[in-house]
Amino acid sequence: MSRWGMVIDLDKCVGCQACIVACKMENNVPHGSPEEQKLKREVNWHKMITVTKGKYPYVRTELIPMPCMHCDHPPCVTVCPAKATFRRRDGIIVQYYRRCIGCKYCIVACPYGARSFNFTSQEEKPYHRKDEPLDNNSWEPWPFPTRTQGVVEKCTFCFHRIDKGLKKGKKIGTEVVPACVEACPSHARFFGDLDDPKSEVSKLLASRNSFRLREELGTKPKVIYLTR
Amino acid sequence: MKRSKLTRREFLKFSGIAGALIGTSQLKETLTEAMGSTLPQNKKDLDEKWISTSCLNCTSRCAIRVRVLNGKAVSITGNINSKVSEGKVCPRSYIGLQVLYDPDRVKTPLKRTNKEKGRGIDPKWAPISWDQALDEIIRRLSQLRDIGEPHKLLIFYGLNSISTEDLIIRFGEAFGTLNIISQDGFDIETEKAGHWMADGHYTHTAFDLDHTHYILSFGGDLLESSKPLSRFLRKWGKFRRERAIRTKVIVINPRYSLTAAKADEWIPINPGTDGALAMAIAHVIISEELYDKVFIKNFTEGFDTYKKLVLDQYHPKNVANITGIDQETIIRIAREFAITKPAIAIGGKTSIDWPNGSYTSYAIFCLNALVGSIDIPGGVIYQEYPDYKPMPKLIEDEISRKGKLKPFIDLRSTDKFPFAKIVTNQVPESILNDSPYPVDIAIGFNSNFNMIAPNPERWDKALKKLPYYIHISPFISEMALYADIILPSTTFLEEWGYDHSPPGSGFAEIRIKQPVVSPFGESRSTADIIFEIAKRLKGGVMKSFINIGDNSKGFVKYRTETLINWKDFLEKGVWIGKSYEYKKYDRIFHTPSRKFEFSSGNLKHLIAKMSKGKADNINLLPHYQEVKFLGTKEKYPFILLPYQPLMVIENGSQNYPWAQEVFLPMCGIGWETLVEINSEVGKDLNIKDGQMVWIESPFQKIKAKVKFSEGIHPCAVAIPWGQGHYSYGKWQKGIGVNPNEIIGVDYDHISGQAAFFNTRVKIYKI
Amino acid sequence: MELKYSTIEGKSKGYKTLVVILGIMVAMFIFSFLISYLKGQKVWGISNMIPWGQLITFYIYFIGLSAGAIIISSLSYVFKKETFEPIGRMAVFMGILLMVGAMFFVLVDLGRPEKAWRLFMYFYFNNMSSMFAINSIFYTGYIILMLIYLWLIFEGNKKLAAIVGTIDVLWAIAVHMGTGAIFGLIGNREIFFSPIKPFEFLLAALTSGTSLIIITAAATFKFTSRMIEEELIFSLSKILKIIILILLIMVFVDKLTHIYFPNRDATLYLFTGDYWWLFWVFQIGLGIVLPLILLSYSKTKRTKKGVIISALSVVIGVFGERAALVIPGTAHPQPFVSAKIEGIWGEPGIFKITLWETLLSLSIVSFIILLFVLGLRFLEILPNQTNEPVSAKTNSIIK
Repeated sequence: MSRWGMVIDLDKCVGCQACIVACKMENNVPHGSPEEQKLKREVNWHKMITVTKGKYPYVRTELIPMPCMHCDHPPCVTVCPAKATFRRRDGIIVQYYRRCIGCKYCIVACPYGARSFNFTSQEEKPYHRKDEPLDNNSWEPWPFPTRTQGVVEKCTFCFHRIDKGLKKGKKIGTEVVPACVEACPSHARFFGDLDDPKSEVSKLLASRNSFRLREELGTKPKVIYLTR
Repeated sequence: MKRSKLTRREFLKFSGIAGALIGTSQLKETLTEAMGSTLPQNKKDLDEKWISTSCLNCTSRCAIRVRVLNGKAVSITGNINSKVSEGKVCPRSYIGLQVLYDPDRVKTPLKRTNKEKGRGIDPKWAPISWDQALDEIIRRLSQLRDIGEPHKLLIFYGLNSISTEDLIIRFGEAFGTLNIISQDGFDIETEKAGHWMADGHYTHTAFDLDHTHYILSFGGDLLESSKPLSRFLRKWGKFRRERAIRTKVIVINPRYSLTAAKADEWIPINPGTDGALAMAIAHVIISEELYDKVFIKNFTEGFDTYKKLVLDQYHPKNVANITGIDQETIIRIAREFAITKPAIAIGGKTSIDWPNGSYTSYAIFCLNALVGSIDIPGGVIYQEYPDYKPMPKLIEDEISRKGKLKPFIDLRSTDKFPFAKIVTNQVPESILNDSPYPVDIAIGFNSNFNMIAPNPERWDKALKKLPYYIHISPFISEMALYADIILPSTTFLEEWGYDHSPPGSGFAEIRIKQPVVSPFGESRSTADIIFEIAKRLKGGVMKSFINIGDNSKGFVKYRTETLINWKDFLEKGVWIGKSYEYKKYDRIFHTPSRKFEFSSGNLKHLIAKMSKGKADNINLLPHYQEVKFLGTKEKYPFILLPYQPLMVIENGSQNYPWAQEVFLPMCGIGWETLVEINSEVGKDLNIKDGQMVWIESPFQKIKAKVKFSEGIHPCAVAIPWGQGHYSYGKWQKGIGVNPNEIIGVDYDHISGQAAFFNTRVKIYKI
Repeated sequence: MELKYSTIEGKSKGYKTLVVILGIMVAMFIFSFLISYLKGQKVWGISNMIPWGQLITFYIYFIGLSAGAIIISSLSYVFKKETFEPIGRMAVFMGILLMVGAMFFVLVDLGRPEKAWRLFMYFYFNNMSSMFAINSIFYTGYIILMLIYLWLIFEGNKKLAAIVGTIDVLWAIAVHMGTGAIFGLIGNREIFFSPIKPFEFLLAALTSGTSLIIITAAATFKFTSRMIEEELIFSLSKILKIIILILLIMVFVDKLTHIYFPNRDATLYLFTGDYWWLFWVFQIGLGIVLPLILLSYSKTKRTKKGVIISALSVVIGVFGERAALVIPGTAHPQPFVSAKIEGIWGEPGIFKITLWETLLSLSIVSFIILLFVLGLRFLEILPNQTNEPVSAKTNSIIK
């Protein structure tokens, strides 16, 4: 069984934020407003943090893109009472909106701030995609067209692309990748099976120094950063 | 007993409520599912199309593919057939969806009913029909021609596709006016002038990023506002980690830009002294004989004069005081630049949009020649342009011929700007002074000059004075507030056109623009509007617009069908010219000596032709001149350095939430303008981080929130461009401030480029 | 002595006014709940930074009060101390109502309250490793136990009541320690994360529960013109003092551990950040220091007034303690990296007190008080005056 992970090369990353915008476009994520940003109510599936160190003129700023880490030991899955978030066998942490009761425990428990609550209902936009699910009879946690108010949502590693791709026999990681990986103009992001030694991600991890965020918490995040 | 009955009753009530709740929840869930399934149930119901077109949110004009579901554009990706950026696009392409579906777009032509014009005054737009609008416009335009004064038509154009630009220029020339003013005078004309002084190409510089090993960037925000941006973003990834040799990048900039954060070294420099640094680096390279002797000997002219100047006046010891960079660093960087081959030196806006900026650009460009990085893999390359099928000769009648003999409104080719090709920022002064002649009609093709110009107040006054102004754009920009008639044009996703990137790739590449959805409301593409106006104007104008396709689609087909089969073009979306040929030294230098010139023969030639003996004390060599600032250091201690973050959409509007939310990535915040000041300096001023302050120049003052930064030179403050809109738009109106409002008017007199960085300001608490 | 219990007559003006006011507040509850449900929780003060606000604070507060009340009631029924018999029924009844109130708070806080039934699908739809799920088992059992307990007390079956009471007390301890575990087991929030949290919660429950009993007993008995034995109040106050001292030790140890390196930033934020006053003024000042002073100082500890003031101080202080956990606990920005994070992800969250959330909380509190008053009216909760016949006449404000 594959174990999907993502590798982000911070050396190649150009801080353009294409990943953030592409994710919003791909998944019909609602945009915020000035008030919502001040009150910290924006829905962000993918964010970028800016880290500064040093003093003029010896200053250093790192721009770190942060999607959901899809941890192997996810604290959010442990605390969800309604089994609305769970780890799929292929490692993707899925948010099942049907079951979500909106208790927000997962937001408290997530060490990466990857989750957002819908404080209001999402406006429908003309550019929202209205794709059909894989199987009309399935009870899949299908996120389109939008999620309702009162539920928590987060990055899905674009599992809708992966599942569709697998059905069509495409190679995941090369032919089919999440929207953020596809959008990255400098090819700084990679996606693939961490358990496959021949995949691009495994090769990169073997060749370069890497780190994960908040590793000391033991969540075993599957988004790994290659250092500069 | 009484209490038991109550308990039972309570219990029944409880369970009743519980049951009802569960029942309602199930009902609600079913309803939600039912409402949610307005999505089609079968794949057959989904009408899906992928259409190749190109973006127009900046001048890079990248090729994109748009996914259209049931007639709505829902997704944008890059076009893998495009080789300029290897199919990649910057995030602004995706924001094209919000540009297309901007809720505040203009639906119908609008006529102004409130005669008063000014900022904050409601024009009281009344919707009119296209025929009414066009009738009025044609009447005024014909009148102007009839009285034999076509030169009094002033045409502004901002960001339009190349095909539309070609038509705008043809229209102006057929009409009889050469007052066709692009926004280039606000961009980076100094780079073009510097390039031209050396080798005769009045264009932006193209660099072979695939093969370069060392980039010395003077003030260029390579990863934020360089062009073509998508190419820089893609090639950055390539030359950092996808080759055997990693390119080293040095950024010289008073501000720690995003590019500096990603580069290997950031060297803060005193603002406006980049010319001196370039000359000092040349000094080291020449004095240590690290220059490419073969190239210099065989393919350059004027090296000895240049060498003398450099060795005499630009010793790193002297320059260290001027630039604030210590001597050791200058020497080290110069040595690295010369030894690491191939290396390129790039001059960016922050370094060269100053008075005397053309010479700074020339000085930087010469560094490339010194190390032989001209037309070699990894060096400066010369952009090939597509050979569009030429349009038939312009039909000039007597009126238009006479009109084109008149002096330019922007005073180019006059003593004030003898060598400039466009001096956009001169126009308001000319309008206000009625000199060389008063303007009668102006047309703005998606221009928004009173936002992007330094000192917009002057533009506002000039626009107010215009007797008749027609504005053509999809939304009501700040410039449109002064219009008498607004014609709604389509956005780039709804129109036909062809485009090619600014110089960068070397090889030529054309991108098609084709409509992905039907036009919004009654909007029409600018190209079609021009065709319609030309048709109705009759005379020479009409005659110049026949046999070129008759409408926008036809025009694109006409121009490109000699290069690529139309059907292929529609599907592939791009046409790519032949691969780049290097070392064309026999024909690439358009100079009197047919070689790269360290002492500008082109400039000398032009001076001789124009001033007829006067002005022979114009410097022909690259050099540094101390900047005259607007405002004294005592009263205005800081130098204002505006900058353009990536998320600025260059079409004149910023009404796009996806861009606004993440507007300032270096500060981790959006929806705002922050004025960045050095943290120590800020503390000395008794200001607190996050406080609102006034930023006052000798001309105006604005207020913004302050941010303490470790990444800005102590003598400067930085404010981003892009905010401060006030004309329309829920997502931009009243958000942030526009630093241009406090910048004074100054020029680089060689190129006519508006100077943006030599205004001094003071900061104080509100 | 065998006590006889009676209802209040409910004829006086005071009673009627109180019921009417509380009734209006209950109507406010329906109104504010509808607004929150239809407009979304954006009308509250919570955010993605501080996802739990007033409602969760009240929820854990009320569970604490409930558990505390039950444990106090056990003094009478399990430990058979006669002094506490007059307030026994009242304590159990309060336990039930406070628990119902807590349930209201947590259910209303859900983003989709109509799916609340999912919380009770044990082992089937529930993820039993989640403390919420485990707690829902505890809570349902707890309410059922308390209902049985109260029913047995009404029936007069003292022996069974003692057994059920014992189970109930142990269950109450489990309930409230479980609530503490909701917070204590969350590893990424430094202010929450502590094995002492369940114990802290339990002790805070005891202090607040005891204090609430003291206040309610004093108030109810006064307004229904029943006499309350001074010994009762003072015994409760002695218990209160001891528990506050133990709580002080717990809080001290917990905070001391957190101040040590590593990972002390969040605790420093608690002490000195935007919400320092919740910790120092409410939790420590009103919740611990002031009552200890009042209950130790000889002049005040022997007066009923002094005890009641210290009880009031504890009740407010422990509410502040709950708030000092929930709000600064999540307001502190998470350290994704160990360096300064710029912009919105690096600054602490701000929790705003908003109209609808406050109205919602206050109206649920009023609802519980209303149920309590109605309970006094229709159920035989309060004891008769000793040595006096059932219907007392003169000097009664509320009958």
